[in-house]
Amino acid sequence: MHNNEFKYQRKDLPSSISKIGMTLLVVGIVLGVAAFFVDHTRAVYNYLIAFTFMISIGVGALFLISLEYIVGADWSVPIRRVVEFFAAIIPLLALLVIPLLLNVGELFHWSHADAVAEDKFLTGKAPYLNVTFFIIRVFVLIGLWSLFYFFFIRNSKKQDTTKDQKLTTINIRLSAIFIPVFAITLTIAAVDWLMSIEPHWFSTIIGVYFFAGTVIAALAAVTLATVLLKENGYLHPAMTNDHLYSLGALLFAFVNFWGYIAFSQYMLIWYADLPEETFWFMQKWEGSWAIFSIGLIIIKFLVPYIVLVSQPAKMDPKKLKFISVWLLFAHLYDLFWFVMPEMEELSGGYSFSWIDLVFPIAAVGLIILVFNMKAKKDNLIPIGDPKLQRGLDFHL
Amino acid sequence: MTDKKIFGVTALFNEPNAIISAARKVADAGFTKWDVNSPYPIHGIDKAMKMKPSKLGIVTLIFGLSGAVLALILMYWTMSVDYPMIIGGKPYFSLPAFIPVTFEVTVIMATLSTVVAMFAFFFGLPRNSHALHDTDYMKKVSRDHYGIVIEAIDPKFDEMATLQLLKDLKPITTEIIYHPEKENYPIFEPRFIALLVGVAVVVSIGTYLMLNKLVYIVPFDWMEKQAKVIPQSGSEFFADGRGMRLPVKGTVAKGFIPYPFEGETNPKEVLSNPYFPTKENLELGQRKYLTYCSPCHGNYGDGDSRLAGQFPNPPTLHSDRGRNFSDGMIYHIITVGQNVMPSYASQVTRDERWAIVNYIRALQRAKNATDADLKLVKAE
Amino acid sequence: MSTDYSVEAPVVAGRLTIAQIEELVAKPMDTKPDKKFYLALTISGSALLIGAVCLLYTFYYGIGMWGNNQPVGWGFGIVNFVFWVGIGHAGTLISAILFLLRQKWRTGIARFAEAMTIFAVMCAGIFPIIHTGRPWLAGYLTPYPNQHGLWVNFTSPLVWDVFAVSVYFTVSLVFWYTGLIPDFATLRDRTTSKIKKTIYSIFSLGWRHSSRHWLHYEKAYVILAGFATPLVLSVHTIVSFDFAVSIMPGWHTTIFPPYFVAGAIFSGFAMVVTVLVFVRKIFDLQNIITIDHLEKMNKVILATGMMVGYAYSMEFFIAWYSGVQFEQFAFLNRMLGPYAWAYWTMVSCNVIFPQFFWFKKIRRSIPAMIVIVLFVNVGMWFERFVIVVTSLHRDFLPSSWGMFTPTLYDFGILLGSFGLFFTLVILFTKALPVVSIAEVKAVADGAQPTHHRGEHHD
Repeated sequence: MHNNEFKYQRKDLPSSISKIGMTLLVVGIVLGVAAFFVDHTRAVYNYLIAFTFMISIGVGALFLISLEYIVGADWSVPIRRVVEFFAAIIPLLALLVIPLLLNVGELFHWSHADAVAEDKFLTGKAPYLNVTFFIIRVFVLIGLWSLFYFFFIRNSKKQDTTKDQKLTTINIRLSAIFIPVFAITLTIAAVDWLMSIEPHWFSTIIGVYFFAGTVIAALAAVTLATVLLKENGYLHPAMTNDHLYSLGALLFAFVNFWGYIAFSQYMLIWYADLPEETFWFMQKWEGSWAIFSIGLIIIKFLVPYIVLVSQPAKMDPKKLKFISVWLLFAHLYDLFWFVMPEMEELSGGYSFSWIDLVFPIAAVGLIILVFNMKAKKDNLIPIGDPKLQRGLDFHL
Repeated sequence: MTDKKIFGVTALFNEPNAIISAARKVADAGFTKWDVNSPYPIHGIDKAMKMKPSKLGIVTLIFGLSGAVLALILMYWTMSVDYPMIIGGKPYFSLPAFIPVTFEVTVIMATLSTVVAMFAFFFGLPRNSHALHDTDYMKKVSRDHYGIVIEAIDPKFDEMATLQLLKDLKPITTEIIYHPEKENYPIFEPRFIALLVGVAVVVSIGTYLMLNKLVYIVPFDWMEKQAKVIPQSGSEFFADGRGMRLPVKGTVAKGFIPYPFEGETNPKEVLSNPYFPTKENLELGQRKYLTYCSPCHGNYGDGDSRLAGQFPNPPTLHSDRGRNFSDGMIYHIITVGQNVMPSYASQVTRDERWAIVNYIRALQRAKNATDADLKLVKAE
Repeated sequence: MSTDYSVEAPVVAGRLTIAQIEELVAKPMDTKPDKKFYLALTISGSALLIGAVCLLYTFYYGIGMWGNNQPVGWGFGIVNFVFWVGIGHAGTLISAILFLLRQKWRTGIARFAEAMTIFAVMCAGIFPIIHTGRPWLAGYLTPYPNQHGLWVNFTSPLVWDVFAVSVYFTVSLVFWYTGLIPDFATLRDRTTSKIKKTIYSIFSLGWRHSSRHWLHYEKAYVILAGFATPLVLSVHTIVSFDFAVSIMPGWHTTIFPPYFVAGAIFSGFAMVVTVLVFVRKIFDLQNIITIDHLEKMNKVILATGMMVGYAYSMEFFIAWYSGVQFEQFAFLNRMLGPYAWAYWTMVSCNVIFPQFFWFKKIRRSIPAMIVIVLFVNVGMWFERFVIVVTSLHRDFLPSSWGMFTPTLYDFGILLGSFGLFFTLVILFTKALPVVSIAEVKAVADGAQPTHHRGEHHD
């Protein structure tokens, strides 16, 4: 059926990529270390933002992989490696979390025994919010993610040489198990790392909220990498803009989904007007934070919505490049908006500090470096996947 | 047969690949008034026929946006302008609470306009009188064939040459389609007109009954019509036939103290005004005056109300007699009435009566202002 | 276990030709209904009649005929409303969301599921209107300049419901009719009866299967699907707002919108499977509605069942975590209080029984899936019962606690709503093509040109 069989030649990414990644990482680390000395608390908060951002990219990518297997999608097969490379950050999370664990006291009010003893709400939550259980949860989560990452990638890589269809079956089953695990673990991550910074506040939708942002970030990263790699000829030449359309449409869908979830959360708390819930949004309306709150709607919903709403825009490489960079920033912004007003010194309004900029730089540098390292080792196209040809034949 | 008007020529194919290549050739030949008919949309036929992408999205955009704007304007106007009410402690214009309705109205406007615009304006449907209807060609493409039709109104159309062009595409059959000799669905057919008239009559009668009879029918009214006294209406239960009863003699309403000077003509010696004409007191007096006194005495006490001429004219309050009344006398008149004027004791409380007195004094002074008064006003 | 992933599984089984598909789908309309049809119609019609009688009693004597009381002011009326709106969601999901996700297997079931949406929304719409007690005054729910100079309260979730449900019904109907037009044209061109031909001609609007029309038609379909997708989410979201904007413990929780949507899809799919299993058998549609399609639906049921389970546990966890004693009590009361039986029925039917769908054998076994989807239907009805009744019957003040006991009239009206739904479904199977002829033809083997797929090769 396919006469001109495509012979895949492995090509290394240009060395400039690793240079850019390395520069960003080194600059980020140097400034980051400096930041820890200049303003310890602010550095810790910013580190948390960068850390949750990396969770989003890595675990979000792993979710996209399992989604492809479970729904039997074919269009995404030619770019699955791109997704896999982003997921490669997951095992590193175990190391990256250590600076945070050393500073639990700075971040979490509930980690102080005296504070807990004084506050009956915190006393009530102590069986869940205590340092020991917290650390156990952190490593269980990262351990589970790494485990699934390891199996998914091993099977996918093995298929490059063996072309064994059974490996696809195994990965499909793995996905079926992973998706519930993912739902639970990501919720725990959201509760632990984001919601418990303000231990009095609670919202049942928090897991879904973080999930929506996570998928947007992972999809944006994948879209950006795909467009760049495709433009420079690293991907299969048979790939068309129709493949990009699928990415653009998914981005659009999840931007809407995030808007829906964020609106639902705000709306219900605003309407019921219970002081135990509204105070959290009031904090985000203090002083200059009000501008950030309005900015969130514009940056994470309105702009991407308007850019992506038309059909041609969803397959236009230029617009996709722009909007995926924009959405990566938007997810960082969202996390920033979520976390920073909880810092005591900033509770009345935002004041700028260079510290807020350095950690995302390091995070982006690290993600680029890991991506590049994996791209050096593995094929950029899953050449053994039985669905590859179907994926390449994909048309709207 | 000669007066038959030709509509166009058709060719039938039974394979999707064949129709694609045939469509490509017809498009290359430069025809414009032609079409491909198929029982379902064929992938790639738009490119083969060189059709431009659909512009339907513009309709959706325009109507969707206007739906959103209209919904927001309606909610703003009704909830914040026409009948503002505080509900649940929320502002009059609570945007988060207006989002759901805005969204729903946007959706309904966008979808309905898209569908209506597509069928009515893009396609010109409904139209059951097209020449292609009831032809063998239509029956085949409705089922499992693919057909090309080139219409006679195309500038390049030439019966023989076009037919030959289609035959060269190796179809299974070709056919020449003629306009039907008589219209399939003539508009001026008596039966059709009778139908229209019938529908019009039924709709009119229906609308009349609905608006004038049906909406006034209360299906189950026994909860509304109970055996009970209805205010302001009669009752056979009491001997005097009145539904509303007078209080027992000697009843004192809560908050009222019986007035001891009833029947006297001039109790001014004992009654003196306990209130100074402060701003609050005058405002209270004004409110009560406008409510209870002005209907007869006029807004400024001139006795020029709309009742003038219907009764013995209510007197002006600015007569010398009126101005020479003591405060106590005016209070007394309000309390027990005078001539035609009834007692206002049950409507206006004691304190309010004194406030009215103060207000009347202010009116009287304003009507007869001295130069000194004018200076005072100007100074303010 | 040797699936070949390199080729797409055919959507239509049995290598049917395009003409055969048409014959198969059009058959019920060409033949006279048999005894079984009338039997089924009698049963559903009797249920409908019982409901109608109970409803008449309610209108005559008032809502006091129902079990509603203080503090449980929202009894079966709202439970049934939410239940039926939920059932409706599967249809739009299949016709719109799966369309946008380019799931071709939807073609065989889309028409039927859309019809079920419309019928279910009709059943749902009845309940809030009869719950008002004086349904003949329902006109006041719409904002029009009336003689009282009053407007509806646009900040009230109950008014949002009026908008959401009526828009949902209208858009579903338009979507459904748009899909039916080419099929009406096909039926018009194949029928020999003059009366049928007139009817089909009117409804087909004179459709000519023109490619110039198909171009816009497909675009319109994408646009409609694009709007129906957020619409279907918004409808059950707004239904969830009815509860969640209040401060009632167990109602006010932020996960309600997505949780209600997932639950709606869950129950809707269960209902679609329940009905389709019989329809495909009775009308010999096993090749168009294949066991593969049913398996995929069962997978969706499994997935949404777990989403619902996630929401149950999240609610429970946050109720504890919040430290708000009323919330904590509300959830303990659900599990251990007087309505614990309802709660555990809900959990076992919605979370535990669908877990059997992890096994491929059960997913593909017709008797097993009938049992499980029936459990899901029951469980989802009980979910709404638990939410409405257990939260209301014991709220803040123990002095205002009470119990809810439904009356015969409550059950009669519930039965009547099922009667209405199935009567409409049964009539639909004989009156209209239960499968979209045009759409299924388009995905049959050899229906599409081969060289389109590899245009870049030539």
